[in-house]
Amino acid sequence: MMPQAATDAIIRVRDITVQFGATRVLDGLNLDVKGGEILGFVGPSGAGKSVLTRTIIGLVPKIAGRIEVFGIDLDAASAAARRAVERRWGILFQQGALFSSLTVRQNIQFPVREYLKVSQRLLDEIMVAKLGMVGLRPEVADRFPSELSGGMIKRVALARALALDPELVFLDEPTSGLDPIGAGDFDELVRTLQRTLGLTVFMVTHDLDSLYTACDRIAVLGNGKIIAAGSMADMQASQHPWLRQYFHGKRARAVMG
Amino acid sequence: MKGTPVVETGAVTITGMLDQIGRTMAGIGGTMVGLIDMLGAVLAASGRVLIHPRGFRLTSTVHHLEQVCWRAVPIVVLITFLIGCIISQQGIFHFRKFGADIFVVDMLGVLVLREIGVLLVAIMVAGRSGSAYTAELGSMKMREEIDALRTMGFDPIEVLILPRMLALIIALPILAFLGAMAALYGGGLVAWLYGGVDPEAFLLRLRDAISIDHFTVGIIKAPVMAAVIGIVACVEGLAVQGSAESLGQHTTASVVKGIFFVIVMDGVFAIFFASIGM
Repeated sequence: MMPQAATDAIIRVRDITVQFGATRVLDGLNLDVKGGEILGFVGPSGAGKSVLTRTIIGLVPKIAGRIEVFGIDLDAASAAARRAVERRWGILFQQGALFSSLTVRQNIQFPVREYLKVSQRLLDEIMVAKLGMVGLRPEVADRFPSELSGGMIKRVALARALALDPELVFLDEPTSGLDPIGAGDFDELVRTLQRTLGLTVFMVTHDLDSLYTACDRIAVLGNGKIIAAGSMADMQASQHPWLRQYFHGKRARAVMG
Repeated sequence: MKGTPVVETGAVTITGMLDQIGRTMAGIGGTMVGLIDMLGAVLAASGRVLIHPRGFRLTSTVHHLEQVCWRAVPIVVLITFLIGCIISQQGIFHFRKFGADIFVVDMLGVLVLREIGVLLVAIMVAGRSGSAYTAELGSMKMREEIDALRTMGFDPIEVLILPRMLALIIALPILAFLGAMAALYGGGLVAWLYGGVDPEAFLLRLRDAISIDHFTVGIIKAPVMAAVIGIVACVEGLAVQGSAESLGQHTTASVVKGIFFVIVMDGVFAIFFASIGM
């Protein structure tokens, strides 16, 4: 499944600077995401977690820096090379971003239909398989996104992100808005998928439970830079005031039990 | 026309007023640049689709064609029919004083085929379909659907905007034609029942009064107006920010600007056709 050796960096972000008007959101940020790991990305609200995600996937322009995904410099790449990279990643947006005019079936089949020439029967089989992967029954296939619950929207969006068997998945706050049991299930799901499919996962989250149960490594964003990156143990050992507050606060103690 | 949101500057002072005028002008400039930018993007996307016809979205185009053309037929025909009736009634009422009743046919024919038919239909389409386009694209923007498309490697111009533009450009000439026919029919009916001009005389007079030029002038304008409405609607739709209020503002702006540009285009065409003697 994995073209790169597990230790190679799949995403390499160097000296990224992003500015909105006069506010500098990211300031010379460096980050590596290794192949096959689940990286949890945390930081205070408004620190720019989503901005970094959106910068990597090319939705937010940067004023300086370099981004390499699968070893390809996205700024220097030709349109075709960029498209090839886009075919290898899947993205789960915070609100799901399902196409509201299409059914669940059409949503999941949309990227497949565009990139591969396959029969409708095979498309349906792919759709059922992907729905199964995210724990949904095929009965939901003909519903519209407006007829789904919040948790189901996230699952369908994940199924769509997985439709083309990506090697890299971006999850933007996958468990926000889910009840604790649903969130726990979702973490479990991400973990299982990562293990079985050998995915690399970049997960923006606020959820301490997710960090504990799902993530291999944690990176912390503050003041436009990565202020710490490492395992959960590293985070707990850190003396940085925000990290101490975050990982030793009341909520963190409850999670660690 | 609505420019960029004007910051409260206390417009009582001269500098405050100048400041506001400057901001409004910059806003108008920004609007023009935005429209030209979109026009360029749409043309570039059409070029790409012409080279690789596989990228053309037929299903989507047909779907939008149904929405903006087929489903618009009843209301367009009804309104243009009524306008034809009114023009005819007013014409007869006033021309009768000079004993010139029959000239109402000339007025009706020229007015409907050259101006009213296409202009009225374009205004209706701007209100009906322009607003729908803006609201659709705007809510897709709000839900990050357009971002999702982009990250999957799709060009939103090719997938979302080109089929809509094409549907509108096909639909407006058809609707303008149907509208003109309905208006002539309505006008003829009123001329007969109210003015005593029997259908045979009406048709004979109409044949003398109008030439193919009048019809051509009207129908040439239609696709251009459709393009203007479509581009304004798409620019406004993609300019929607995250709030419901922004969606409402841009939908309003789409209709207001759409109608404004349609009338401006009509004026430009009037000058153009006058100078080439059509």
